[in-house]
Amino acid sequence: MSGDSAPNGATPPEGGGLVASLLSHAVVKVFGFLLLVLATFVWIGHSVTSLTGGRARTTGPVEMTPEGGETIFWGKGRCYTCHSVGGRGSAVRGPNLGQFGEKFAQPIGVRAAGRARERSEKTGETYALTDYLVESVASPGAYVVEGYKNEMAIVYAPPISLVLDEIKAVITYLQSQGGEIDLAAILEPSEITQRYFARIQAATAAGGGDPGAGAVVYEDNCIDCHALNGEGSDLGPDLSAISGRGLKFLAEAILQPAKTLTEGYETYVVVEQDGRQTIGLKTRDDADEIDITKATGEVITIAKADIKEISLDPLKSVMPDDLSEAMTVKDYQDVLSFLLLLKGE
Amino acid sequence: MRRGLHRRATRAAATIAVLAVVLSASPALALEENVYRQVLGLDSRRVIWFLAQMHLFFGAFVLGVPLFAVIVEVVGWRNNDNKLDKLAYEFTSLLSIAFAITAALGGLLAFALFTLYPTFMGYMAGVFKDVMFIYPMLFFAETFLLYLYYYGWHWLRGTEPIRPPVRRLLRGAGVILIVAGIGFQFGLWGPDMRGDTRAFITFLYILPPGIGLVIIKDLKSSHIFIGIMLNVVGTAIMQAANSWAGFMMSPAGVDAEGVINGPLWLAFENVLATPIAIHRMLGNLAFGGLIAGAYAAVKFIGAKTAEEKAHYDWMGYISNFVAIAALIPLPFAGYYLGREIYSHSAVMGNNMMGGDFSWTFIIQAMLVGSLFVISNYYLWSGMTRIPGAERYYKYIKFILFALIVSFAIWLTPHNLPLTGQEVGEMGGSQYHPTIKFMGLMPAKNAVVNLIILSTFISFLLYRRGNKSELVPISRQGRAPMIAIPLAGLAAIAIVGQYAISLFTLDPGEMDLPPDRARYFHTVGYLLVFQCAAAAVAVVLALKDFGKLAQGLLVAVTAFNVVIFLGVYGFVVMEQASPFLRNVAVSQFLQLIGCLILITAIDVFLFRGAKEIGSLRWGKMTVRSQYALLLLAFIITLNMGLMGFIRSGLRGDWHVFGIMRDTSEWAYTPSNFTMTSMVALAVLVFMVAVAFMFWLGGLAARTSGDAEAPRRTPEEEPAE
Repeated sequence: MSGDSAPNGATPPEGGGLVASLLSHAVVKVFGFLLLVLATFVWIGHSVTSLTGGRARTTGPVEMTPEGGETIFWGKGRCYTCHSVGGRGSAVRGPNLGQFGEKFAQPIGVRAAGRARERSEKTGETYALTDYLVESVASPGAYVVEGYKNEMAIVYAPPISLVLDEIKAVITYLQSQGGEIDLAAILEPSEITQRYFARIQAATAAGGGDPGAGAVVYEDNCIDCHALNGEGSDLGPDLSAISGRGLKFLAEAILQPAKTLTEGYETYVVVEQDGRQTIGLKTRDDADEIDITKATGEVITIAKADIKEISLDPLKSVMPDDLSEAMTVKDYQDVLSFLLLLKGE
Repeated sequence: MRRGLHRRATRAAATIAVLAVVLSASPALALEENVYRQVLGLDSRRVIWFLAQMHLFFGAFVLGVPLFAVIVEVVGWRNNDNKLDKLAYEFTSLLSIAFAITAALGGLLAFALFTLYPTFMGYMAGVFKDVMFIYPMLFFAETFLLYLYYYGWHWLRGTEPIRPPVRRLLRGAGVILIVAGIGFQFGLWGPDMRGDTRAFITFLYILPPGIGLVIIKDLKSSHIFIGIMLNVVGTAIMQAANSWAGFMMSPAGVDAEGVINGPLWLAFENVLATPIAIHRMLGNLAFGGLIAGAYAAVKFIGAKTAEEKAHYDWMGYISNFVAIAALIPLPFAGYYLGREIYSHSAVMGNNMMGGDFSWTFIIQAMLVGSLFVISNYYLWSGMTRIPGAERYYKYIKFILFALIVSFAIWLTPHNLPLTGQEVGEMGGSQYHPTIKFMGLMPAKNAVVNLIILSTFISFLLYRRGNKSELVPISRQGRAPMIAIPLAGLAAIAIVGQYAISLFTLDPGEMDLPPDRARYFHTVGYLLVFQCAAAAVAVVLALKDFGKLAQGLLVAVTAFNVVIFLGVYGFVVMEQASPFLRNVAVSQFLQLIGCLILITAIDVFLFRGAKEIGSLRWGKMTVRSQYALLLLAFIITLNMGLMGFIRSGLRGDWHVFGIMRDTSEWAYTPSNFTMTSMVALAVLVFMVAVAFMFWLGGLAARTSGDAEAPRRTPEEEPAE
């Protein structure tokens, strides 16, 4: 604050000067100035609103037509915040889905055929145009257009929360961009499309969630104890076909594991003669000794002769009961939607 | 009597808030059907909007003013300058009524929320019940500290040293706190938390009281300690309320149905809570400064004598100085908040910059740009009262040119509103063939940095206005030999660590092919170049080439940040778009490093310099005072606008992704509605502030007691 030394020799005025100044011409001028500024601000808001117009809100059911999809695309689906369609819209975060300059020489309804061929070569499965479109919405990270980041929102998860019929409508809208509408590909879906539709339904049932991200959450939190299609540990139950147990069971199993103990995975409490206590799964039971596998994976072998007392504890689970603290809401929704897809091979 | 009235009003409001919380703190779940009510048939959302805005305006003022009042008091204390001390007191005197009004508005807002949105507030109270009890307790602490700080000003003014054993005890406690704070910052103790939250707690809650205890040596310094604690508690109040606002945008510690499934801390420290708190801290400081500046401007305009004009001119200058100091880092805090919003939810982020609020951001850019341009104008006007400053007038036109060009680019919308015919004439594109580039982020990132750099240069010119015959730095003892290299090290560390991270950054993390690493390396080498320039500047400054050092560093920074990265940003956008965010961070870090080092050099460059003449306080145009007023109006409008964006980003959700807004008001209002509502709130706020200041002046005049801020210590009656 150099250069801010106090007014030399200035004695500040007596208090209460504002009383007089409130009534003075100066205050009237200041108030008038304020009104002018506020009026300008309101006028700017009015001009901007007149310029851009109001956006229509989507209400009620949406038909599975390009028009219905267009309503979703430019409304509830919020696709327009990342994608433009030709000259419509201004977003550049995602690829333009219409025909626009050299970079986007073909609209998506045509471009998708080429992409489908790329996907076929990459995966070995036969992709049709609609398969690619469905995949790009259901699993946007499966194919990321060069120069763009894998950051597309999962549109069937909160906050957008599109339901399957709304997504189908958007697919018809995308098909119609330079291409033919192929309702049959949606109503009688191929195996690939059917797989993604199932994924969307599972995610919707789980309150929204991204099964792809859920797979990562699974690897971070579950794989050390559970097996999936023969891979992983057998410390906990095999989850390869766990979706058959239903949403409620899965939700409880994650948040309150003690409430949903699976047969063969009960928790034992072993007290030895010297008072030591070991809690875990009984993973071996021979004539002379037993193995107790603790939640950490450590296996404790105890001679039967040393056991003072062994009992089942129905209120405890070896599975951590604080997973909810380690996961965010999104992690939980993601892993739930992932588990709902596990129907066994 | 006035004191009693304030306290009763504050306590009554706090009690009302507690009662409302207790009555409604049912463990409601987010999935429960929402109940909405109306009062007098009014639109409940607008009622809440208005009340929340008023509460926030007053809250920002009563939290912002003590921040700089204490800083001014400390500067006055260290320099033994009674005038600064009296100024700090005068700032504080503005608070007494504002605080009671803030508390009363808070109570009213709480009642309105609980009666009009009972399900939503029941849920929030269920999640945050503990914090909601702590919150009013903090208000009690704030009330006690504020009145002790204000009314104890003259009581705690003595400079007689306190007893050595007491001082040793306090100093020991202070050192323990400081050491604990450093340990906390480095994660040696305390629970797991985000890095920004840890830094926030360290630098705002632990270190300031520690330093405050260490400096206590007499009654005056103990008064400063009270001021520090006042700010600590005020910040805690703000952070508590921020945690609720943040939770509504980025809920944590609850499951998908909104049921609590983790410790309260998770919900409290949600992703956006701390970024919002950082942004709001700086915003409050700037806001408090500019409202105090408006007060000074009104008094100046109505002043009858030269002495009055001189005093209020000076007060306005200090207020504006504080505001500019907070305004400079504010865009970066905003950028950080924006990044965190985007990281938390791409949907929310896209809606912010490219969706419903894209045009609102254009209006915001107008307001923020105006703040900087008008602040510069005020500084230039101030140069007319500095003998010798005419030597620097010739540079103003260049700064003005840079500001206008930058402002124009910043304002250029990404897409232009065009008629069908115009679109046809442009070949079907919505983008203008020439100026479309001005609407893209690389251009905007470049010019926002240029605006800040230009403002800083204006301030440097102002500072050196009446200075001549410098005292060489080499003859100033050890202080510059330590301080300037330390500042240089800080600048190099800030930039250098980011350069290292760019050299080791894996393109795969951004879904980019490996060959795109070359773009990272180019920016990395540029940062190394910036570090080298900082090192050279330090050497030059210590060799008594301080002005050359400053010129070199400003030139290199301007080239790197504005010209090179401004252009290179387009290349990055085309070839490695996700990396553009890192480019913006590199620009910010170079600029901050530059400001730190140049300020350190400037302090010593002009220390003890001969003055051409004294500042002619009061010799300011009335026009300049309207500039101060305009600054206050604009920042208040901007606060309202940004609040609308922050709140509106949730879209149709009370709690984003968890609790839907199923009311009839669940839609995003138009910009016209926003400007109308915000203008109404600003009008009522400004009228209330004028009334509040009038009351304060009336009380000061009628009491005529020792509280009167403008008496010199010698004139004070014996106590």
